[in-house]
Amino acid sequence: MSAGDVAALGGARLPRLGAVGMALWTVRFLVFGVVVAGIIGTIVKDRYTAAQWFDFVLFGLTIGSIYAQIALGYTMVYGVLRLINFAHGDIMMSGAFAGLFVANPLENSGFLEAHPVLGMAAILAVAMTVSGGIAVLTERIAYRPFRRVRGLAPLICAIGVSFFLEQTFRGFFGSGVKSYPDPSWQRAAFHFGGVEVPRIDVLVMVLALAFMAVLYAIVQRTRMGTAMRAVSEDPEAAALMGIDIDKVVVFTFLLGGAMAGIAGVFYAFLYKQVYFYMGFTPGIKAFGAAVLGGIGNIPGAVLGGFFLGLVESVGPTLVLDGLGIPAPYQLRDVIAYTLLIMVLIFRPEGILGERMARKRA
Amino acid sequence: MKSKLFAACFGLALLAGAACLGPAKAATVGPVTDPLGVVRIPKGAPIEIGGYWVLSGPDTALGLDEQRGVEVAIHDMGGKLLGHPIQFHPEDDQCTAEGGQTAATKLASIPNMVIVIGPACSSAATPAAPILWQAGITDIGTASTAPSLTAPNRPKGFYGFARTIFSDNDQGASDANYLYKVMKFRTAVAIQDGSPYADQLAHVFAAAFTKLGGKVFSIEGVTPTEVDMHPVLTRIASEKPDVVYMPIFVAAAAQILRQSKQVPGLQHTMIYGGGALMAPDMIEAAGPSIVGFHIGYPDISPKALGKTYPHLLAEYKKMFGEAPISGYHANAYDAAVLAFKAIKEVAKTDAAGNLYIGKMALRNAVFATKFEGASGPIACNPYGECAKFKPAVYEFTNANPKTFKIGVNPKRIWP
Repeated sequence: MSAGDVAALGGARLPRLGAVGMALWTVRFLVFGVVVAGIIGTIVKDRYTAAQWFDFVLFGLTIGSIYAQIALGYTMVYGVLRLINFAHGDIMMSGAFAGLFVANPLENSGFLEAHPVLGMAAILAVAMTVSGGIAVLTERIAYRPFRRVRGLAPLICAIGVSFFLEQTFRGFFGSGVKSYPDPSWQRAAFHFGGVEVPRIDVLVMVLALAFMAVLYAIVQRTRMGTAMRAVSEDPEAAALMGIDIDKVVVFTFLLGGAMAGIAGVFYAFLYKQVYFYMGFTPGIKAFGAAVLGGIGNIPGAVLGGFFLGLVESVGPTLVLDGLGIPAPYQLRDVIAYTLLIMVLIFRPEGILGERMARKRA
Repeated sequence: MKSKLFAACFGLALLAGAACLGPAKAATVGPVTDPLGVVRIPKGAPIEIGGYWVLSGPDTALGLDEQRGVEVAIHDMGGKLLGHPIQFHPEDDQCTAEGGQTAATKLASIPNMVIVIGPACSSAATPAAPILWQAGITDIGTASTAPSLTAPNRPKGFYGFARTIFSDNDQGASDANYLYKVMKFRTAVAIQDGSPYADQLAHVFAAAFTKLGGKVFSIEGVTPTEVDMHPVLTRIASEKPDVVYMPIFVAAAAQILRQSKQVPGLQHTMIYGGGALMAPDMIEAAGPSIVGFHIGYPDISPKALGKTYPHLLAEYKKMFGEAPISGYHANAYDAAVLAFKAIKEVAKTDAAGNLYIGKMALRNAVFATKFEGASGPIACNPYGECAKFKPAVYEFTNANPKTFKIGVNPKRIWP
């Protein structure tokens, strides 16, 4: 075999890298290098105790569980309708407000303090009903007329619905902050191994995981869930098989809205503040989480939510602190969105997403 | 061809828009000649006065209180000035740069806008004041305290900006003095939220605290809409400061106050806030953790304020059916009085009863006018600083928002 033959064989085996490919690989190495340098710097500084690292992770998982719940609504609606429902964060806000109007009287009467399970059940039930109802109404009134419209009109409509909901709640309930109750059983903490874990964080995470498992079971194990997956795969074929598309879409909005209502109540119990604009930031971040995990993919949305929460909480300390960047937590959103951009550049389908067929996309 | 036509039309539209908000030009109108132009108000037509404050969101009380201060001043004038009705245009700047930019553009586009009062937030004033001055409109800030707004080296765009509120150069030094000398703290961490107010005040405080002999470990940053403060507080806890200084706004400050009680190592560390937190919304947002919370604020006890303050307070309560909801209504009242005095000083009326106001003359009159205001003596320096600072520290004593009353909850604890 001549040298020319070997070169020819080598050329056939190795993928050719164009200028764009080379640039992308350079970016990959750069980002990887910066992250590694930051982590090494943080380890060398040895500033935080093991308990503090545990806290960073715990805080990340807690906010991540909220992002995951909201992201489920984005991903389900996208899976069925290929619509990015930008009003979903505001539907979460509506659930938080609805929960507040039950939580305050229950707290004032002492019921929430004395009967935490029943009290929480009542608050969640009202929040799920209101946010699920609003989600169904937005679908019926605002989105259905755009069902067969291509282009940006449905997206613009979703943004309009978002503004409408925010300003409606502002009009009805004012623009100031309202405070969620803070019963003593939420303020307590678990202690083990020298670590203190707030009970509310554990409660929110466990309940969020339980509700997400129920939602996953509904999608995977029920007839309606099967219909949802069929519509998501190929709406025309699903219709030909006798599936009522309208019913499936309404059910999807109801399910996503109810989950947003739960997320709203948990969010409000964790951070205590409710106001008309509160859904915007978590909504955008949850959308990022859904994209990160692979939009349209339910486990992907959950994974994306937890991942985003962790990166936001641990990233500034683990990477930026080591690089000597002052006030690293002001850059937590930069880290989160840089991560999102990196995923979109190098894996556009998301962490668990699959490449869509031309027809689906 | 169509695209070229569209581009040409678009270009013309842009030019027309720019012309509407173009720089003010020298003019002689009626009996007045002014290098920046003249506002002509026909007989019986209203005198247009603009205003912009934060009127929505968690910091509403801060801005609404100041808007009310101006409304009391207009009411005191019987709603008229020099025989013309006063038309007041309050805008919501949302305490953001974008909001300030929008509010200023909107106010500048109102024909015959004479003068603008506000804002409460330096974030809004920073982009808004140059936009207004570009149109020859003088702006009197009412609670925007960032030092850069009235610094000797401020950009030319701020030439028309004055304020009836102190500078945070004084507030930061006073806070450092209190925490170092009175509380005997030696180490601190400051938190800012990226706004000009918080950023500049945190740095002024850090410099003053260090000069006194203290040590500032770091100046941390949060974003105003952030809710999960646990990670940044855990980072601060690792530094073990004596005090955390956070001159930021209600939503983020309340989260920090609540969550600091849950972060190991910070449960007993003093959290000290700034003037933007003097509001019932702060009590609502922070819940039980508000009790014992200290904020640095100007002394607004009746003895420290001007002789006309009791009248302002009585009118405020009569007009709005409640006690003041924040602490800068007197500064806003004084801003309006300053504007009215300056207008009276420079306005000229022709034989037909039309009113003429030179824009540069009005700016100069604002900077030259001196009087005893409701908030104290008002006299501007060449850079627009018109108020004096009297330091005080207040402590919240009750977690019920209905108990909010300046002097009671929070009560003045120093000096």
